[in-house]
Amino acid sequence: MKFKTEELIAELIEQTRININKVEKFRKLSEEELNHKENIEKWSILECIEHLNLYGEFYNPEIRKCIETSNSKPSKIFKSGVIGNYFVNTMRPKKKLNKMKTFKDKNPLGSRLNVEVIDRFIGQQKDFLDLIEMSKNINLTKTKTSISISKLIKLRLGDTFRFIIAHNERHLIQAENARKLASR
Amino acid sequence: MKETELLIQIIDNNNLWEKEIVISRNEYLKVKGSIDTNLYFIKNGSLRIYVIDEFEEHTIRFGYQNNFIVSLDSFITEKPSDFYIQAIKKTSLKIISKKTFKNLINSNVEIQNIWTKILEQLILQQLEREKDILTSSPIERYKRVLKRSPQLFQEIPNKYIAEYLRMTPETLSRIKKS
Repeated sequence: MKFKTEELIAELIEQTRININKVEKFRKLSEEELNHKENIEKWSILECIEHLNLYGEFYNPEIRKCIETSNSKPSKIFKSGVIGNYFVNTMRPKKKLNKMKTFKDKNPLGSRLNVEVIDRFIGQQKDFLDLIEMSKNINLTKTKTSISISKLIKLRLGDTFRFIIAHNERHLIQAENARKLASR
Repeated sequence: MKETELLIQIIDNNNLWEKEIVISRNEYLKVKGSIDTNLYFIKNGSLRIYVIDEFEEHTIRFGYQNNFIVSLDSFITEKPSDFYIQAIKKTSLKIISKKTFKNLINSNVEIQNIWTKILEQLILQQLEREKDILTSSPIERYKRVLKRSPQLFQEIPNKYIAEYLRMTPETLSRIKKS
């Protein structure tokens, strides 16, 4: 799949803005509502966001490292890779959110959570915006990053960005569903 | 600034506002890296424009009721801007796009003159702001801003004013008391 780099970047930035706003809205809720779990397996709002924080803790530094060590020149076009595309499409929230298995080290269940989870998420999004800015100077197709589950699989940076956004979207929808249940 | 009021009236009378939105406290109208060529009019509420430098936020401008707010660099260049525009409290806004706005400005000489006057005032404000930054005494910085924008202290919480004045909230409280 081909993208115009400028359009892709604008879309990533806009989606990040929307995600920041979604999470800022959660600040208004009580700590009880934020931690409400409908049942033992369903994640609370804070668990959803903390899960995203765990991913961000891997991906933000990884992306930064790959951008800083890349010698590539920017291009007007980004070509997504087969694996990248597959990851993005699988992660993208469908109409009815299907259950996905979570890797053990990214499972937030059991950790102590409060509103500081929201602060960290917002901080990571601002860092992400910096990374997007930095990426304008290198090539999104030729620069590759590792993924959290395997050092052997590499994604094109453009796909890593797309994947992170899709992943954020997925869990923020999950968080909004949790909010509806919490305020019943 | 009566030119701004005139301009708002003209836009109102010609029905040129393209959208009206409400954003909650802490929501972002704009984030770093985006292009934003809209002109926003604040019906009620308040906003701040800030940049981030080395993980620190620096508020550079505020907008409150009946003000315009705009990412001026992006508005002029139509290129990405590093500014963040965030609501300090729940804010309702009317929006006009640059395209519609430019058509209005170019439609007659009188409106063009009003816009020129507004831009001149903006430039003068920027010069005053430059002097703010170069003023080393916190008390003097406070006095300058109090003199030109007393309403600021009614509309905006202290912690943001302190940031704008480049001092800690504690220092600002102390100065206000003395």
